[in-house]
Amino acid sequence: MSEFITYLVTGIALGSSFALIGSGFVVVHRVTRVVNFAQGSLAVLGAMLSASLLAGRLPHVVGEMVTVVVCGLVGVLVGVVAIGKRGTPPLISLIVTLGVSMLFSAAIIWLWGQDPVSPPGLDGFTTILGAEVERQRLLVLVVTLVAFAGLSLFFSRTYLGKALTASASNPFAARLVGIDVRRMGLVAFGLSGVLGGLAGVLVAPSNALSFYSDLPMALGGFAAAVFGGLVSPLRTLVGGLGLGVAGQLTAGYLNGSYQTEVALLLMMVIMIARSRSFAHEEAK
Amino acid sequence: MTQMMSRVMSRARSRPQPRTLLVLLACAAACVAPLVLPDLTFFMRMVMAAIVVTGLSILMGYSGQASLGQGAFVAAGALTVAVGTTRFDLPPLLALLAAPAVAAGFAALVGVPLLRLHGHYLAFGTLALLLMVQTAMSTFDVLGGALGVSGIPPLGVGDRVVVGQLPYVYLALGCLGLVLLVSHRTVHSRFGRGIQALAGSQTAAESAGVPVNRSKVVIFALSAGFAGLAGALSAFFTPYVSPDSFPAAESFTFVIMAVVGGLGTIWGGVVGAVIVSVLLQVLNTISSQPGLPPTAAPIMQYATYGTLLVLALLFMPRGVVPSVDAGVGRLLTRPRVEVPG
Amino acid sequence: MLHITDLVVRYGSAVALDGVSLEVGRGEMVALVGPNGAGKSTLINTVSGMLEPASGSVVVEGTVAQVPEGRQMFPDMSVEDNLLLGGWSIRNRQLDEVFDLLPDLAGMRRRKAGRLSGGQQQMVAIGRALMARPDLLAIDELSLGLAPIVVDELAEHLRYLNAERGTAVLLVEQEVTLAFRLCARACVLEAGRVVVTGPSSELAESDAVRKAYFGDLAELADVEVSR
Ligand SMILES: Nc1ncnc2c1ncn2[C@@H]1O[C@H](COP(=O)(O)OP(=O)(O)OP(=O)(O)O)[C@@H](O)[C@H]1O
Ligand SMILES: [Mg+2]
Repeated sequence: MSEFITYLVTGIALGSSFALIGSGFVVVHRVTRVVNFAQGSLAVLGAMLSASLLAGRLPHVVGEMVTVVVCGLVGVLVGVVAIGKRGTPPLISLIVTLGVSMLFSAAIIWLWGQDPVSPPGLDGFTTILGAEVERQRLLVLVVTLVAFAGLSLFFSRTYLGKALTASASNPFAARLVGIDVRRMGLVAFGLSGVLGGLAGVLVAPSNALSFYSDLPMALGGFAAAVFGGLVSPLRTLVGGLGLGVAGQLTAGYLNGSYQTEVALLLMMVIMIARSRSFAHEEAK
Repeated sequence: MTQMMSRVMSRARSRPQPRTLLVLLACAAACVAPLVLPDLTFFMRMVMAAIVVTGLSILMGYSGQASLGQGAFVAAGALTVAVGTTRFDLPPLLALLAAPAVAAGFAALVGVPLLRLHGHYLAFGTLALLLMVQTAMSTFDVLGGALGVSGIPPLGVGDRVVVGQLPYVYLALGCLGLVLLVSHRTVHSRFGRGIQALAGSQTAAESAGVPVNRSKVVIFALSAGFAGLAGALSAFFTPYVSPDSFPAAESFTFVIMAVVGGLGTIWGGVVGAVIVSVLLQVLNTISSQPGLPPTAAPIMQYATYGTLLVLALLFMPRGVVPSVDAGVGRLLTRPRVEVPG
Repeated sequence: MLHITDLVVRYGSAVALDGVSLEVGRGEMVALVGPNGAGKSTLINTVSGMLEPASGSVVVEGTVAQVPEGRQMFPDMSVEDNLLLGGWSIRNRQLDEVFDLLPDLAGMRRRKAGRLSGGQQQMVAIGRALMARPDLLAIDELSLGLAPIVVDELAEHLRYLNAERGTAVLLVEQEVTLAFRLCARACVLEAGRVVVTGPSSELAESDAVRKAYFGDLAELADVEVSR
């Protein structure tokens, strides 16, 4: 039982980072129709940056906050490159972001080297139902839930959030009422940077990240986003948590090396099983 | 059939001269190069990349979707040869012929559901597929396991077998020629006109009666077939196939080559493969100079890839081939016949 | 307050407007009529800045808001949110003024815009445009698909708006009788050119208008004959 709880919590923590990255995909895709491949790199950047800032004597919370804000700004920059030029089709934007993720890799190796980095997080363990659980992993879940609640409030309650939703729902009408749809796209990219940075900051204390982690992070996040059909943040949260838990249970009870493959396999199954209904939703 | 042939030929006649000259020149250079180049492995890899990228370019140009894991189909082709010859004693020649078919079939299976979706599910689906193929290869002993498959016999018929690298290089060049010919035929066939409509507007193509999904799957399978052929060639050339033979980065490189060369063009794949391969070779030489830190090589490689992609897409979004084509056309300032594709 | 001079608008190489000139005075209501494909929507979209002129000029003294062809709701958002977004350009979040003018909207403020009937959506579209407190209201197809009773009601609102607020109106309307009843002046557009402009009462008698008015019928007749 205690083993199961450990796997469950570990899975939920990892799944939370998938959910955060996945919601970054969703936010950008809804507003711009672009799939931002650099989403995983932003998480890696978050991990590296927070490690440096915290080592440079910034106190906890402040160090993490600064990291997340910087990641948001970098996200905007990614957006400028990806959609800044008028009339770039989404396929081309996707490949531009693939290029941007490679530039990230170069910069990360240059600044932080090739070794995995793990910033300090919450120390200590808590006992849940007889299982020793790292506190950091619980923190990940709590912050993720808060972030999703904040995201949902932002989209439904704030004027800017409504303008973003409007740009996603009917770009023509959005332009008609004076919303600068391209600028909204940049806001979405910035938001995805914040979410990616947050994922990196949260997950790296337990799972060290290197420049090489961008691909698994991006794929995990995309897999979570697929649950939400690339449009629903809430279903992305559920999908991310499900993927994380399924991966950890497989890793724990079957074989430790297959957790990514389980996530990918589930993603493929979902895509194939739901291809009809997704296609239908998109056509609407 | 004859009608189609004559139409293709009349097109060929109306094509401007410089283009034909350029193609002839390229053919000649390709035939002579293996005899004078010191490093045949580099040249062989470049030719195989060109085969893969020719298919990828057509896929991306006409279906509007990318495959980030084209390596999965290269692997399918390589495995057909490796496993077929060593485990099932298939004659090597038969394995070579079967490889593209196996890869194409594999692609059709995945492509039918994924291509129905927009939003680049295919890009991530193929990437996931590649990673799963890698895992499958290292897990199942039939596919070589962690050690990989070695002892692949040389290509040959009966007792006569191929010796040395040179024959494989010419075989690969021949295959590239075949791939280019098939691509040309496909793009200029009745089916090709359908997929050209698809490249313009999917809705318009649909309403014009083009079976959109089926056409996309056919192109996808074709591109995977080319990739499988390249994989088969590589399995004969380097008679060892392991999970590490198909890194994701290589599949990204194929995309970069396709974009640099020009999506949806016949010659874009070749041009992109040559430009990017040569550039990488040069960079490799520079970054392995003494005195540079060991991280110089990956930094330079990633930076070049990234810069190439971003700059190429933003400033030459149609790629080298169409841009140069248009430039030459303008230089000549004589009325040019539009050659679609 | 609206000065259009020698306006040319293209879609790619196709010319949709070919040298159009038109004036709308302060507080004036002008009808824009013409057969399908004449370029009416193109003109409206250019006035509101959705399309760029290829040449010529559009000068607006004040602000424009548009009630677009096809209503263009944000379908998954509430009526209230649709209206609020209408005020985006001037950050106007006061719904009361619009509810005063179009009281029906207050009753459906929480409903999803995509679930409303055509007439209700048209009302939302007008309300949304009014949120920008425009000096010129550009309306594309006021009556399309609506019951006569609803149309009359909307027309009444427009007249009130014009009289009370001095809002100028540029009205595209297939229903020529309605357009001429509402607007003192009218402009007939055909194949991207202005055929005639003048007081509605005079135009109602003219041949050009007859042709525009019965344009569709005339074409139908031609087809019949050629068969
Ligand atoms: N997005 C577009 N792309 C290309 N051509 C267009 C586009 N929109 C309109 N056109 C063309 O421009 C011309 C004018 O169209 P417009 O929509 O302005 O006509 P309209 O007078 O509003 O017609 P209707 O009464 O049917 O609404 C038509 O010939 C039309 O085919
Ligand atoms: Mg119209």
